[in-house]
Amino acid sequence: MVLIVGGEGSGKRSYAAALGYRQEDMADACLDERPVVFHVEKMAFARPDGTEELYRALLEKEVVICNEVGSGVIPIDRGERLGREAAGRLCILLAREADAVVRMVCGIPAVIKGELP
Amino acid sequence: MMILLTGGSGCGKSAYAESLCAEMEGPRYYIAAMRPYGEESERKIAKHRRMREGRGFETVERYMDLAGLALPGRGVALLECICNLTANEMFDETGAWTDPCARVLDGVEALRRQCRDLIVVTNDVGSDGREYDPGTTAYIRALGRINAVLAERADAVFELVCGIPLLKKGCPGGSGTACGKEENAG
Repeated sequence: MVLIVGGEGSGKRSYAAALGYRQEDMADACLDERPVVFHVEKMAFARPDGTEELYRALLEKEVVICNEVGSGVIPIDRGERLGREAAGRLCILLAREADAVVRMVCGIPAVIKGELP
Repeated sequence: MMILLTGGSGCGKSAYAESLCAEMEGPRYYIAAMRPYGEESERKIAKHRRMREGRGFETVERYMDLAGLALPGRGVALLECICNLTANEMFDETGAWTDPCARVLDGVEALRRQCRDLIVVTNDVGSDGREYDPGTTAYIRALGRINAVLAERADAVFELVCGIPLLKKGCPGGSGTACGKEENAG
């Protein structure tokens, strides 16, 4: 599994496309048969307590794409705070198991762990 | 040696800070700047305490005025974190604020002089693109400036991303980490 992280609009899906995946291979924040799932942070926000289950399901994917959402002021809203924390923790777990972790900045990929398959 | 660790929320800064400390010779001090203010922060504090258990840390709760802190021995200190310290130095109970930069930076400097090694944890809070009230905006700017000065003074700076330490500056010796800017040190 390849984990791709980065801010909103940083080029994560374009990069997945460059890896050979088509738009129809990419699922928007849902788990189905498609090999790529993006907006994983939304899934963590929706169920901050359910990341363990989500984590196991995501390990079956070929590419997991998640927005980096932790680099702002700690939100006053409790749900937002917990969601952000859950998204971060989930990415730590995914990164540990991933064959490669790619971080996007301005559309530029940096492989910060492993090698691309 | 002073090492600065930065990154967003939930990126693995504490765990990495503690693993760095574990490789260093004691005594080990954990300087906790987070003021407990409710169930959630108490849970976070309890989690951090569990992570440190068995690692020989002496916990020192110090929410502000690091310059007035005297550590009982010379060893390694883990200061967590600059974002809490800055907020505590900046705002009073009424929400009024004063510039915290000098107090925070002088405090860290005073702490550094008492330690063989100092690991400082901070946060990146300026990247959410939102508009805030003037106090919060001033806080974001102050923390950014403090982080920049700390990075300048630090021997090594890491940014944590998904638990992976990315070396931004320097080359910490003896910890088995790779060297080179932007290189994955994990």
